[in-house]
Amino acid sequence: MAMLASSRLINTCEFLAHVRRLADQLPAQRYALNLCGNRYHFLVTFCAVIVRGQTNLLPANRGIAVQQQLCDRYPGSYVLHDGCDVANGINTFEIIDLADYFAGTMAATGESPQIPLHHIAAIAFTSGSTGQPKPVEKSWQTFCESSLINARHMLADAVATQHLLATVPGQHMWGLETSILLPLFADICSSAGQPLFPKDVQTALQQLPAPRVLVSSPVHLRALAHSGLQYPPVERILSATAPLDAALATQVERLFDGRLVEIYGSSESGSMAYRHTAEHQQWTLFDGMQLEQRDNTSFVHASHLPGAVELQDTLLDHGNRQMTLRGRQTDMINVAGKRGSLQELNRVLLSAANVIDGVVFRRADAATASARGDRLAALVVAEQADAQTLNVHFRRHVDAAFVPRPIYFVNTLPREENGKLPLNNVLEAFERVRRQPTGRLSRRNDER
Amino acid sequence: MTEQTAQERALAEVIVSCLDMEDVTAAEIDPEAPLFDEGLGLDSIDALEIALAISQEYGVQMQAEDDAVRDAFASLRSLNTFVVSNKAA
Repeated sequence: MAMLASSRLINTCEFLAHVRRLADQLPAQRYALNLCGNRYHFLVTFCAVIVRGQTNLLPANRGIAVQQQLCDRYPGSYVLHDGCDVANGINTFEIIDLADYFAGTMAATGESPQIPLHHIAAIAFTSGSTGQPKPVEKSWQTFCESSLINARHMLADAVATQHLLATVPGQHMWGLETSILLPLFADICSSAGQPLFPKDVQTALQQLPAPRVLVSSPVHLRALAHSGLQYPPVERILSATAPLDAALATQVERLFDGRLVEIYGSSESGSMAYRHTAEHQQWTLFDGMQLEQRDNTSFVHASHLPGAVELQDTLLDHGNRQMTLRGRQTDMINVAGKRGSLQELNRVLLSAANVIDGVVFRRADAATASARGDRLAALVVAEQADAQTLNVHFRRHVDAAFVPRPIYFVNTLPREENGKLPLNNVLEAFERVRRQPTGRLSRRNDER
Repeated sequence: MTEQTAQERALAEVIVSCLDMEDVTAAEIDPEAPLFDEGLGLDSIDALEIALAISQEYGVQMQAEDDAVRDAFASLRSLNTFVVSNKAA
């Protein structure tokens, strides 16, 4: 295990020394709301929290309102961060620059800390259909066993040290399983970077020796494929968070002169199946994973999971470890690889000041056919129509990707007599308001 | 709102078209208002889409590790200044 941070190689001994030193200094509390943005800071703090016997809380976004909610829900919480906006009145612990701070202070024993297998190492939060973020507890045992399974499937036949670059953040389950956990259990040197633009990805890959692994998502891969840039060869490209189409997969394989393997999983189950997207539509289940169907709901079982895990997609089991995706629960949305719940967004909308009625919905028009995934829009009845304020309100509660766009203000919602609001009525009203130039946000005040 | 220059209007058209923004027209983008957060409310994936459109339209590659790029995304005006000064002559 090694990490490349700020062009400096950090080896296992140094990493363990950082973890031990930090574990001793953490506040004596139960839960660390871990918001560290730098991947190396996140890796060290994540491990230090566990070594100290505490639990990492990993929210889907860093909004101030989310921080407050979690700290209320988990008494004995503090915010662990490396420089982000923190809600007032919460205990915090800030990391400035770990690598510099601890330089030369390591006692290089290299001995691994002992961690009880049943310890709850982290609680991730996903958008639940209840409209409230749903906690998903991850024991150290789950992380250990799933990482060994992941290494077997994601790095099949790897012989040398793999140099891994991820365009996705370490906090979310996909980035956590790959850029944070895999280096702890497999022969991987992970880059601390999180490049966004194609030029950044190119530079970061040029700094990494071969063989390389790129962990990404369809929205990032699409940008790389259309950038017109040349990249160093990448033997393995791993994509997850949203379905990738075969044409883009083929294009990416040519671009990097490597093999693109798509991974299917969820926060609840972790990674659980793979496919070579350029050639196969069907997924192959990882070793140790079993599917179960109950009515229209799919569950997965594995010895490292706490029980039957309900999946948000409906899967079709073909036997012989083969499966296909048949659809997903209607409440769930996916924007740029991030999963959200429409019910949760609607709850957030209706909690905004001055909003009398409103609905956030998935657009049905052709614009949805982009790598970004679902496109959301909102129709809102409000005392004072102000999209700016509503925008800020959404951002305090949910990831920026889920802020509906456009937001149109209307006089009433097309509800039926019994108060129900069928999706078709909403989509029709949306089309009507779009066609009226006077429905535009900027002119809407004159109209009302 | 201050007036857009012709170049700024052209860049605004590129942004509105690549993000499929139907509730804002290119002419409505205040050249000095923030593009992200409290301004137009764009996010990092929007930045990625804009960077891609700029590379295709103007042949300029954005790089986030470069502080100049980070500053460039502050507003339409700063983004236009960045594009103009980095465009191949």
